[in-house]
Amino acid sequence: MHSRLWCIPVAALVAAAILAVCLVAPTEETMGDAQRIVYIHVAMAWLALVGFLIVGAAGAMYLRGRNLLWDHWAQAAAELGWLCASLTLATGSLWAHAAWNTWWTWDPRLLTSFILWAAYSGYLLVRGSLDDPHRRARLGAVLAIVGVFDVPLVIMATRWFRGMHPTSPGMDPTMRLVLWLSVFSFTGLFVLLLAIRRRQLRQEGLLADLERQTPLEDRYAKERTCLPS
Amino acid sequence: MDYGARGAVGRHDKERYVTAKLWWMMHKDLASEWRARRVWPAMLLLGIVVALMFAVQMGLSPEQKQETVGSLLWLAIFFAGMLAMDRSFVAEREEGCWEGLLSYPVSPTAVYFAKLAVNAIALAAIQCVLIPLFVALSDVPLLERPWAMLAVAVLGNVGIAAIGTLLSGLAAGIRHGANLSVLLVLPLVIPVVLGAAEATRLGMEETLDAAWWRWCQLLGAFAVVFTTAGAVLFDFVVED
Repeated sequence: MHSRLWCIPVAALVAAAILAVCLVAPTEETMGDAQRIVYIHVAMAWLALVGFLIVGAAGAMYLRGRNLLWDHWAQAAAELGWLCASLTLATGSLWAHAAWNTWWTWDPRLLTSFILWAAYSGYLLVRGSLDDPHRRARLGAVLAIVGVFDVPLVIMATRWFRGMHPTSPGMDPTMRLVLWLSVFSFTGLFVLLLAIRRRQLRQEGLLADLERQTPLEDRYAKERTCLPS
Repeated sequence: MDYGARGAVGRHDKERYVTAKLWWMMHKDLASEWRARRVWPAMLLLGIVVALMFAVQMGLSPEQKQETVGSLLWLAIFFAGMLAMDRSFVAEREEGCWEGLLSYPVSPTAVYFAKLAVNAIALAAIQCVLIPLFVALSDVPLLERPWAMLAVAVLGNVGIAAIGTLLSGLAAGIRHGANLSVLLVLPLVIPVVLGAAEATRLGMEETLDAAWWRWCQLLGAFAVVFTTAGAVLFDFVVED
């Protein structure tokens, strides 16, 4: 698949979603324009969770076949997922300040989002500490699978506390449509970035293999030709 | 010749063999700790200092103390327990015993179960000190229903030790991994800390209701899921 071909339609879709969020969605009565954050926030929260599931599934596939191509999917999804989890916390915090007059409160869903973000951060830290690609893939996969098992238990544990996060608020049909458009377009952007980043990681891997296969004297010879005379 | 009966005896012997090896691995860890006293004193001291600091900070009414003591107790248990869980693998690697342990004629899963059992015993040792200390310092009825406290402690210990043992084993193989392990374990162990804290709080109320039982079920589910996951995944952790 040529990712570049998809750039224009995905960019158009995201631009349409942002315009719809700003211009088409009706202004909410009590919160005003601050409520528009929700359209981005929900999309980011959804993608953070999807990203985590992709990391876990790709990790399991790596452990099954020991093919590094699966690990490239896992790393790409983890990087994008971390970004989405960070944006979920940031947009949620902005919304909470407008709605509840506080930047942060220990509501169950906020706690779940924070745990997801911390799990992503730990996963990326572990990967960053390892040089050998297979070792990095193997330990990363173990951590991701443990995380995937943990997420339902975290959700269950935190929901049993009383929460103040809106669960399924009644929405105007136009608002609902804009929300779906936002989720759909940002999912498209996520998939596109995932494909681009995965291809980049694969090329990095191929380059590293090539360097390992090149005899040392050839590499030195190549470096010498690059030096200014 | 009765091959079926011979097969049954063979299986029985194998089970006995694995159980004996499991016991010897646990015995090795407990005996070396008993002789050298390298981790447990520091772990117990950390637990006591945390408990004292909580008691100093808490200028609360008896009702408020009863509400918060469960969370403080389980956080103290977790942080002190992480010391023991970290060292259980780092010490093996530092002293060159790791390769020897892996070449022992048992599967890595048995090594995992032995380490898990020792770590759960370490957590129980902290609880034997911290629970009476919290009762004395904060004057809360933690031991009002000893069997309920015991059930929560056992389930919580197995849950924390299951995930802590797996991830400490993982972190021990990484450069500066000891600094990473608390960071890795803490977010994942939150359901246990929350569940155990809530079950401890509900265990002090006048009647044990369905909510207490629900939290115990969550703790039990966590312990089963992560003991199984640890047994399956530990093979991959110790591969090199």
